[in-house]
Amino acid sequence: MEHDRQNPAFYALLVALIFMAVGPIFLMFVNSFKLDVDIIGGTSGLLFLPTIQNYETALCDILWYEPDHIDFCSLKFGGAFINSLIIALISTFLTLVIGCMAAYALVRFRFMGRDTASLTTLMVRMVPPAVLLVPVFGLWNNEFCLDRDGLIGGWIRDTFGGRGDVCLAGTHSGIILVYVAMNLPFVIWILQSFIVQVPRSLEEAARVDGAGPFQVFFRVVLPLIKPGLAAAAIFTFRIAWNEYLLASALSDRNTKTVPILIVNNMSEFNVEWGVIMATGMLLAIPPIIFTLFASRQIITGMTAGAVKG
Amino acid sequence: MFTFENVYKIMNLGSAVESMPKIRLDKLIKRYGAVQVLHGIDLEMDEDEFTVLVGPSGCGKSTTLRMIAGLESVSDGEIYINDKPVSHLEPKDRGLAMVFQDYALYPHMDVARNISFALRLQKRPKAEIDAKVREVAATVGLSEFLHRKPGALSGGQRQRVAMARALAKDSDIFLFDEPLSNLDAKLRGQMRAELGVMRQNVHKNMIYVTHDQIEAMTLADRIVVMHGGYIQQQGKPEELFKRPANKFVAGFLGSPPMNFLDAELKSDGDQLFAAGDGFKLAVPSELAATLGETAGAVTLGIRPSDLNYDPDAADDVALDLRVTVSEYIGAQSVLMCACGGASVTVELKSETPIALGETLRFAVRPEGIHLFDRKTEKAL
Repeated sequence: MEHDRQNPAFYALLVALIFMAVGPIFLMFVNSFKLDVDIIGGTSGLLFLPTIQNYETALCDILWYEPDHIDFCSLKFGGAFINSLIIALISTFLTLVIGCMAAYALVRFRFMGRDTASLTTLMVRMVPPAVLLVPVFGLWNNEFCLDRDGLIGGWIRDTFGGRGDVCLAGTHSGIILVYVAMNLPFVIWILQSFIVQVPRSLEEAARVDGAGPFQVFFRVVLPLIKPGLAAAAIFTFRIAWNEYLLASALSDRNTKTVPILIVNNMSEFNVEWGVIMATGMLLAIPPIIFTLFASRQIITGMTAGAVKG
Repeated sequence: MFTFENVYKIMNLGSAVESMPKIRLDKLIKRYGAVQVLHGIDLEMDEDEFTVLVGPSGCGKSTTLRMIAGLESVSDGEIYINDKPVSHLEPKDRGLAMVFQDYALYPHMDVARNISFALRLQKRPKAEIDAKVREVAATVGLSEFLHRKPGALSGGQRQRVAMARALAKDSDIFLFDEPLSNLDAKLRGQMRAELGVMRQNVHKNMIYVTHDQIEAMTLADRIVVMHGGYIQQQGKPEELFKRPANKFVAGFLGSPPMNFLDAELKSDGDQLFAAGDGFKLAVPSELAATLGETAGAVTLGIRPSDLNYDPDAADDVALDLRVTVSEYIGAQSVLMCACGGASVTVELKSETPIALGETLRFAVRPEGIHLFDRKTEKAL
């Protein structure tokens, strides 16, 4: 009965929360179509002449034509965008592949140190990424290097060019490696809870039917934990896509990701608000597409389940 | 120990004895840590025999089956299939099919893919797989449901899919782990009958685990009653029913269960009597002859079906029972009665209303008298 009529204050609170959540995005969207003059000039409100100039500036390095308002394309958004995609997709993929196998092993196999391993994954998750920054920066720059006179190092140097030894710092691999390490504990943890729910008798049935351990895993367990994989994928992709701190230290000019690019676009003398808003909007698109894609797996996975009626 | 049989075993030539059992369990032992749950199971199953392992929960019957399947490791002893030791083999290399209690259907595959899973793993030609799936589905009456997911099937249909999946494998040995226990009573009866029919047509070794003695009695060629990790008795159903080896088997098989009364064996002239609180029954001479000099404290066992209402029966072949509870179940009434301090269940095929507290006289069929040693609980 009490649910029939809500306190007006409840609705007011809802509206306030919605405004707080959607407001900034809306503001960003509107401002991305304004000229800097309009944004800073305080001609607030919705009365302005929309322009795609900001988007043209942001995408200048991959546009097929040369926009009139820029003489020199200084912003390499396209390149950064591709870097972000490479790093986020590959690190997500690797995290899932390693994560689901590790989770399966932790749930189903008995081996020495299993409980310790399980607990450690969760504890590692609690370590803030910033703690990793300094040691990883040092290791990537100085330790994990291949001698440029060495066989493999020399080959890489010859093929890709550059100076000095071949180090992980400044490469896609270096960043991907850190992201995989950073996201793996959570993915293992979330997938464990999904694998526990797969009835053991299914795996036993598959074994009696003639499946080896890998066939049991790939043909029976993996299809059943698809919703978990999708959830983990969304989570991992989002983190890898948004990550700023580690990428800012470990990337170089050619491997920087979009978040780095956006921040770098703010100089001491000139903050190009319009372009920042436009890049922000562009930055938001891939995770949305990825989430829509992956969440469909979650829904079909949920309806396909139901082992017992 | 050096014997010729061991030499044959080592050389993997099979034993010298003719007509070898299909499956043989040799002193099978299972331990979980310090707890031993199976204490040396010796069992032989002949070609094409339907063996039912039956017993209360925790008696080790499922563990035994899972060890044969290869899903549980063997702590000690050995399992032989066609006289080859298999306890070190993976389940897939033992050539058997299994039906699980919760069906264990793959929820992400439709019925056809569930049935064909084993065949697809064997990489059989597609045409052959399709033909086999259709054939097996027709056998169990699933032809219309081939493209449904298990989630969209009823309990009985899922049960059939599980059967079909086992049948499709063409194994020589079928294992059933309480396959009917998830069904409701009516469906269970129906599926039990269907299993019986399937049994007539499929001449394979089948091992069936259940806690339901009716399933055991109706389906089995050989019943193995287990309790506490030991085999209590094995043999043909009627053998176990008529001549239970001990009090446990006697009480476990049959419904309603056998009545047990404490009694003393007393000789009176030539006749041996089993006397207790409120009764004195003559022991039939054939039974008395086998007893020898073991007079003393015994447990008298009488099945409800061996007690017939007969007001004119003589004192030494009858029990006087005072009705305490009457359960009318249609064709007959089940009466709980008191005989002295003990409680006795009888069946009464009568429409006559029974007054509680009434004392009725029941004649005991002479072959219905079972005597057990009160200490060892072994049949005398």
